[in-house]
Amino acid sequence: MLRDVQLAVEPGEIVALLGPNGVGKTTLLRVIATLIRPQRGEVRLFGKPAKAIEQERGWIGLVANPPAFYRHLSGEENLSQSLALSSKPVAAAEITAAMERVGLPAGRPVAAYSSGMRKRLALARTMLQKPRLLLLDEPETALDSGGREELVEVIRSAASGGAVVLATHDHDFAGEIASRLVEMEAAR
Amino acid sequence: MRAWVLALRDLRLEMRGRAGLLSAFSFIAVVLFIMGIAFGPEEANLRRAGPGVLWVALAFAGSMLASRAWAIEVENETLDELLLTPGSREWIYVGKLLFLWLLMLVMGAFLLVLVAAWFYLPLSSWPQLFVTLVLGATGYTVVAAFYAGLTVRLRARDVLLYLLVFPLILPVVLAAVKATLGIVDPVADFAEVVSWWKLLGVFDVVYATLCVLLFPAVIEG
Repeated sequence: MLRDVQLAVEPGEIVALLGPNGVGKTTLLRVIATLIRPQRGEVRLFGKPAKAIEQERGWIGLVANPPAFYRHLSGEENLSQSLALSSKPVAAAEITAAMERVGLPAGRPVAAYSSGMRKRLALARTMLQKPRLLLLDEPETALDSGGREELVEVIRSAASGGAVVLATHDHDFAGEIASRLVEMEAAR
Repeated sequence: MRAWVLALRDLRLEMRGRAGLLSAFSFIAVVLFIMGIAFGPEEANLRRAGPGVLWVALAFAGSMLASRAWAIEVENETLDELLLTPGSREWIYVGKLLFLWLLMLVMGAFLLVLVAAWFYLPLSSWPQLFVTLVLGATGYTVVAAFYAGLTVRLRARDVLLYLLVFPLILPVVLAAVKATLGIVDPVADFAEVVSWWKLLGVFDVVYATLCVLLFPAVIEG
């Protein structure tokens, strides 16, 4: 349960949510993403109450931990389907380029991906989606050093066109990337 | 358009995973085998039982497929992604409905052939049987896709789905069985069959409208 949360994120900001396990970082991300309706209080996104956004919902990019993909589809199929359903279809060449950029092989089903590869695929999706509000749940876990560099680049690029909120346990990573650190505490 | 993309994607996933279809077809085979033994071996008994067996088997197998249509999202944890797509959310329901409807028609046609062979159901009136199948399957899938979506986040969703769907689809099963009986009975009045078709048509339109209107509110959670 979340209590006494007040958070305003300005365009261009990268906000890192820190705190122990179970404190509600993931829940807060889901509340911001409009996937959980708060019992009290209000969430405003892009200047509007959360319940009034419909078209703007497509501007939100959420990378869960672990990222969600259809296991029986290949990486490219997941990306093309996801973008088509979000009404942002992109050319196959763009998808291939994004896959190459994050170093993923073509044609392999996601079921055969490691957790690090799934994270990379999520990065590729974010690059193609170009969200105005990017929400990341423990994005740095399972990534090798190359993947981490790519992640930092994607986060900075997303922040230049919008804002980023990420939940992490890694203070070093948060200190390196975030423009603001928010420490969440368990309710007494 | 997005609803078609979703339906086709689900079909592709089902063809690759085959979990739902295999279970449904195995279930149908077992039901027909047991019912065939229970009502047999006299031809008159089997012929009389045929329409009922057809629709009961289709209804139960349909529930398995309805549950499967949404289980794809639960297993892959992708429901959030669907919910984060821009615009109103009716299309998610319509996409799942189309997926389920297509599977039900394929399964219904397969079942019709099996029942015809086993229960002496004459296939000479196949156009009328097909109309009944389309109307009945539509009414069934409209309700089942809605309630399967409503219960998708619940742990006991499979049990709840049967409890919620079956009382509501009773008129569909009844009308479809009566229409099928009228079609296969050479002395029956065809006007009676048409009146059952009308009932199915009204049910389909009313429930489809209600479900499309209510779905965005119920899936929000």
